[in-house]
Amino acid sequence: MNPDFTQIALYIHIPFCTQKCCYCSFYSEPVANHTPAILISALIKELDKFADATVRTAYIGGGSPSCLAAEQLIRLTEHIVTLWPDIAEFTIEINPGQLTADTLTMLYSIGVNRISIGAQSFNSSELEFLGRRHTVDVIKTTVSTAKQIGFENINLDLIFAIPGSTIDSWANSLNTAVGLDVGHISAYSLTYEHGTLLEKMLRLGQVEAIDEKLDRQMYEFAIDALTANGFVQYEISNFSKPKFQCRHNLTYWANKPYIGIGPAATSFLDGKRITNVADIEKYASAIETGDEIVDQTDVPDKIEYACETAVLNLRRTCGIDMAEYKQQTGFELIELFAEIIDKYRKMKLLKIENGRLFLVRSALAIADSILCDFAVI
Amino acid sequence: MSTRHIRNFSIIAHIDHGKSTLADRMLELTGLVSERDKKDQLLDDMDLERERGITIKASAVTMPYVYEGKQYMLNLIDTPGHVDFHYEVSRALAACEAALLVVDASQGVEAQTVANAYLALETDTELLGVINKVDLPAAQPDRVAEEIEHVIGIRKNECFHISAKTGQGVKELLDAIVTLLPQPKDESNEPAAALIFDSHCDEYRGVICYVRVFAGSLKVKQKIRFMGAERSHQISELGKFTPKMTATKELATGEVGYVIANIKQLTDVTIGDTITDEDKPAVKPLEGYKPPMQMVFSDFYPGNNTDYPKLRAAFDKLAINDASFSFTPQSSPALGFGFRCGFLGLLHMEIIQERLERENDIDVVQTAPTVSYEIVTKDDNVKRIDSPSQLPDVSHIAELREPFVRLEIITGTDTIGAVMKLADGRRCKLLKTDYLSPTRLLLEYKAPLAEIVYDFYDQLKGMSRGYATMDYEFTAFEKSNLVKIDILVNKIKVDALSLIVHKNTSVARGRRIITRLRKAIHRHQFEIPLQVAIGGKIIARETIKAFRKDVTSKLYGGDITRKMKVLKKQKEGKRRMKSIGSVQIPQKAFMSILDTSK
Repeated sequence: MNPDFTQIALYIHIPFCTQKCCYCSFYSEPVANHTPAILISALIKELDKFADATVRTAYIGGGSPSCLAAEQLIRLTEHIVTLWPDIAEFTIEINPGQLTADTLTMLYSIGVNRISIGAQSFNSSELEFLGRRHTVDVIKTTVSTAKQIGFENINLDLIFAIPGSTIDSWANSLNTAVGLDVGHISAYSLTYEHGTLLEKMLRLGQVEAIDEKLDRQMYEFAIDALTANGFVQYEISNFSKPKFQCRHNLTYWANKPYIGIGPAATSFLDGKRITNVADIEKYASAIETGDEIVDQTDVPDKIEYACETAVLNLRRTCGIDMAEYKQQTGFELIELFAEIIDKYRKMKLLKIENGRLFLVRSALAIADSILCDFAVI
Repeated sequence: MSTRHIRNFSIIAHIDHGKSTLADRMLELTGLVSERDKKDQLLDDMDLERERGITIKASAVTMPYVYEGKQYMLNLIDTPGHVDFHYEVSRALAACEAALLVVDASQGVEAQTVANAYLALETDTELLGVINKVDLPAAQPDRVAEEIEHVIGIRKNECFHISAKTGQGVKELLDAIVTLLPQPKDESNEPAAALIFDSHCDEYRGVICYVRVFAGSLKVKQKIRFMGAERSHQISELGKFTPKMTATKELATGEVGYVIANIKQLTDVTIGDTITDEDKPAVKPLEGYKPPMQMVFSDFYPGNNTDYPKLRAAFDKLAINDASFSFTPQSSPALGFGFRCGFLGLLHMEIIQERLERENDIDVVQTAPTVSYEIVTKDDNVKRIDSPSQLPDVSHIAELREPFVRLEIITGTDTIGAVMKLADGRRCKLLKTDYLSPTRLLLEYKAPLAEIVYDFYDQLKGMSRGYATMDYEFTAFEKSNLVKIDILVNKIKVDALSLIVHKNTSVARGRRIITRLRKAIHRHQFEIPLQVAIGGKIIARETIKAFRKDVTSKLYGGDITRKMKVLKKQKEGKRRMKSIGSVQIPQKAFMSILDTSK
């Protein structure tokens, strides 16, 4: 067995939503058009294939896992902890107000110990723009309920650079989030992903994207504001209080193996990136009949893997541990990317300290323009 | 065959007036090609020529024709139909006694018709007026005949009315070629003298010379001498184009055909050279042609320095059959190693460019085309430079000269105001106006080549809704008040962006150039100052602001493959650009400096 298999991250994709948000490009379908119980059975069957693995972190995302009926969610989580009782970090993504206190309590008692709340904003007008169904108060209630139940590890997702937003409105969202005393905050700049309604509206001139300069200011403001309040930025968009880094997501940026379960989910196993078919019915029936559920397989070669690893590692503020990199990829980082590293060090965008290569603070907002030089040799 | 039964002629015409179609019809009527195996426009060899509907190189064909019971030999030498290829036209004309001047009955006399007629006059070539496409509903043959009489001086009642497409009148035209065109002078008893009017290189047989015999004759095995090149060879094969190469024993006085003499490289043969007999040479060489003159120059750099040998190999290949294209190694402090290429004109440049892309897989950065200049130094030396970067320090220059052309424009009277304004803004001096008809006008200008070579034609076409036509011929280098504009990108002088312009417009041009560059160069991770310097003094500055954001917000397990692809693409985009210092300059930036649009 692959040695990495002993420490593996598990992701389960729930491709259902009550309704699709205008900015979301993830695969999901309206829950009302489907029978979730069939999918959950299929997911459980796919999970069983990996019973031998030692799963250390689990993450149920979507879509909206919280739009499932309580009993389906409980059936799924119970099955996971039965298979892997030693999961150290078990996250579920929830929409504010979508789960009752009872359901949350059940999940907590089963073993879910981290919740990630899609708060997005603490300004009503911005929530409205994004088409979110919750209110500011509901977010607050959800957080306090979760805390009362015993959840210590809570993440709030926030979005900035929403059309119409200002530094002040963004400051309000950040301050409110900080005031709720959570351990983790993800701050994402609104992106106009290809194929989303929002992108179409932008193209048709129905919305106007926020000025790039303001977008940058908002990002810098987030770093300053969160750092001042005891958070540490550990990745381009992720901030946590000590001990609350998301272990699951760190697996991705370490470019280590993970199992992806469900329609459209991706696994990275034995050096292969395998993506399941993005179709609920096809997926469920293939699982039932034992047919192939894979839609796409990519096998990065050694150099490609080394490039991927560099790109992903550099998203972390701690960057690349060069000794570890050598062990993981077989390449000396400093030789493989000699010219680029030299160039960006001279430009003071990359720094080497204590055996690590990392992006300096001012490089984070323009990371892609640097990372693309690591994406291919 | 006796020279009494030989007729040598060319067809000259404005582009699309039906020159190649007429040639095809003649081939059919003389029985050389049957309807069945004909491909349209037989004389256009290259795919590119056929696609663009133009002939690039001259070629020849020998047609047998019977008139009043007697056997005749008609030699047609095809000519290119574009403004850039004047010297090829003059080559063809020098090998003939006469030319058919073909004019489209629905279009009338165009600028190129006039330019070609001038060339024919200069080479004492007899002209026969032919009005083509008379079958078109829009045809106005009588009006066109009047224009021909007015501008060219061929009597309107002497013009032939034909339709090359349907064949109407072509038989009568062939008869007229026999009865009206002059026969070659009989100099069969003189020492051999044959004019090389074209050549091409065959992979197996080496160089094939296209010749017209003016005196004596050429035979297989004959020892021959190239008078200009001062080289001797032995003829291994000769023959005629029927239209395929068909070997014969001899080419006699007045005849047109080919000669193969074990010559390996095209550069060993000079077009316009005279072939004579080694042992019994002609007293003096035949009058050659106007030598080909390269008017437009541009640098080609490989996008990636490791592609340099590939680029050289590609140019070598292109030069094999294009003696009018040249390339010399060039090294630019900013752009590295590349080649300075010379072309007959802009179309010629575009053709080479297109073939380079089509036939080779090399990313190339090309600099804006420039013309050549003449410098008179303080110690009275005259030298030619073909790149602004070769301009010596002003302290060494006594006089700077630029090339001038005679420019003919034919346009409708309704657009004359706009056309004259355009010409005015390009330092053109009006020499003559001539009404071809109440609604069409010929304007003749003296124009600096540098001002009309790039986008003048496009603008002319635009303002006249496509109706105006133009042509030009080089006249002379003349003194001009010129200065060099230098561009600094991120404080580094980029020689490939330098430009020589007239002093009066230099400041405005400089400002416009950096405005264009500001748009053409992408924003970088840092601020990029753009500066214009004239004579070492900065006269304008602009700044390309740094981009503030370029980052993917979310990157988790399912996004990795897709994101890596996007990043790779971003990187490839950078690679296609030329790095100068740490600034990436895209191809279009180099061209943008010539963009004069508002």
